[in-house]
Amino acid sequence: MREERQPSRLWRVKDRVFHYLRAINAENIKEWRIELKYKPDFIRQFFEPFVYLFPYFLYGFALLGGRYSEHLRSLTGISDMIAYTFIGYLFIGFLNTACWAMGFSLRKEQWFGTLETIFVAPVPRWVYVAGMALHSTCHQGLIMLIQAVVITTFFAIVLQTSGLFLSLVVVLLMLLGLYGLGIIVAGLTIALKQWWVVSEALATLIVVVTPIAYPLAVLPFVLRKVSMFLPTTYGIIGVRHFLLGEELVVGLPTIILRLSIILVVWLTFGMLVFLIMDRFGRKRGSLSIY
Amino acid sequence: MWVIVEEVRKSFAILFAYPVEVVFWIFSPLLWVIPLVFQGKALIGAFSSTPFGALAGTDEFIPYVLIGAIISTYMFSAVWSMGNSFRDETYYGTLEHILSAPVRPVYILVGKGVYNSVLSTLFVIVQLLICVFIFGLEITLAKIFPIFLFLLLLIVGLYGIGFMAAAVTLLIKESHGIIHLFEYVLFLFSPIRYPVEVNPITKTISVFIPLTYALIALRGLLLNIDFNFWKNSVILLGIDCAIIPLGLFIFYKIEKRTKTRGTLADY
Repeated sequence: MREERQPSRLWRVKDRVFHYLRAINAENIKEWRIELKYKPDFIRQFFEPFVYLFPYFLYGFALLGGRYSEHLRSLTGISDMIAYTFIGYLFIGFLNTACWAMGFSLRKEQWFGTLETIFVAPVPRWVYVAGMALHSTCHQGLIMLIQAVVITTFFAIVLQTSGLFLSLVVVLLMLLGLYGLGIIVAGLTIALKQWWVVSEALATLIVVVTPIAYPLAVLPFVLRKVSMFLPTTYGIIGVRHFLLGEELVVGLPTIILRLSIILVVWLTFGMLVFLIMDRFGRKRGSLSIY
Repeated sequence: MWVIVEEVRKSFAILFAYPVEVVFWIFSPLLWVIPLVFQGKALIGAFSSTPFGALAGTDEFIPYVLIGAIISTYMFSAVWSMGNSFRDETYYGTLEHILSAPVRPVYILVGKGVYNSVLSTLFVIVQLLICVFIFGLEITLAKIFPIFLFLLLLIVGLYGIGFMAAAVTLLIKESHGIIHLFEYVLFLFSPIRYPVEVNPITKTISVFIPLTYALIALRGLLLNIDFNFWKNSVILLGIDCAIIPLGLFIFYKIEKRTKTRGTLADY
């Protein structure tokens, strides 16, 4: 009897996994279709990162009267303000994926009037958020690729291509950690409704303490300690080390270890918050409240 | 007039249903300055820069960007809030109701503009008070009147842009991204974070943006930087006189077009 059950259970698990994967992909495809319906908005998303990035370059130019900073070199080993800032802002784009795309997902369904329909579908609710994560990672990845090609060509930034593989490993770990944040925001949206305030407040705080356009050394002690709990901190300094040769303030094994711990903690905490908020929303009957 | 008052009252009622939003809008412009302060410290190693002074008229970049951030509240309000005001009504399911009410839609639009102006002014006052009591910004009473004069001239000009943004939303529907982009373009070409003289392109385009003249005047008043009072006032007044009728005209045309084509209720 036992021998008969084992393949059956395994088959059921396999079947369920494929069922979830199909649902995740269906969500991904659905999002692409919706986005392509609004073509001006879709095209706009590929231009926006440039408009967002240039003020930081121009601000740096105004302060320095040029592109290179001796003080920055003494802190990081890199004197090129453009290259330093660009790499920081390029990869922080994934923060938008987490805070905006994933967090926004549930509120958007509510606006469309399809939230309740999705929530009664025969899949766990995290599958829906995972679908959004897959879509926004593909979309953001494409935007970043275009941005990277244009900016490196226009400003003649030379990257260390030998560090590309390890950079991608660090980015992957950072991204998984940020998914945890995205799940938290999506969960809070169920209870707080006004999702964008949560997203914007969290994104602003993370941008302040992450060493995007400045090294950790310039942050006050308390903020430096806070930044040690963020995946973006290790992600950005890791990538900049591999691509530009930034001097590391913490060792590489420590970066990988901490990123791994952070992603486990954030993902677990995110799922926990999401499940609690989901249950809270349904118990209070506030799921359909605007 | 009664319609405008009711629109303002309704908008405040919706706002107070989400109190966390009020707190966010008061503090966020101040928070956006912090990365610029750290970036300056990393690049220069100090809180003043001679090259910056040569362009901006003051070496100290922190008060410069702080004032830029506070005044940019009006820009966000005019472009973002006004642009999305009718889109929000679509989401609430009330757009058809308000636009089929026996009042001219332009009064509803003006009501939304008045609400956003009052709200932004309240935010700016709180932010300035934070700067006075925490960061030690000095504002003499004699400067209060000219400050409010320039703020008024700025608000009028920006809401002309806001009316156009609201019209674009009726036309394109899912326009929040485009409005956001437009807002960032204004950010890029206005002296909010840096003196536009740093680049010839930003310098040229900034000439057409009302925020440029208001920021020059307000920074001049608050940071004692030399500026031409009358020149900036007259230019702002001229922009206001042109942009408000233009904004209303564009709104009127697009609103009529969406009604004629029957696309008002489209999502």
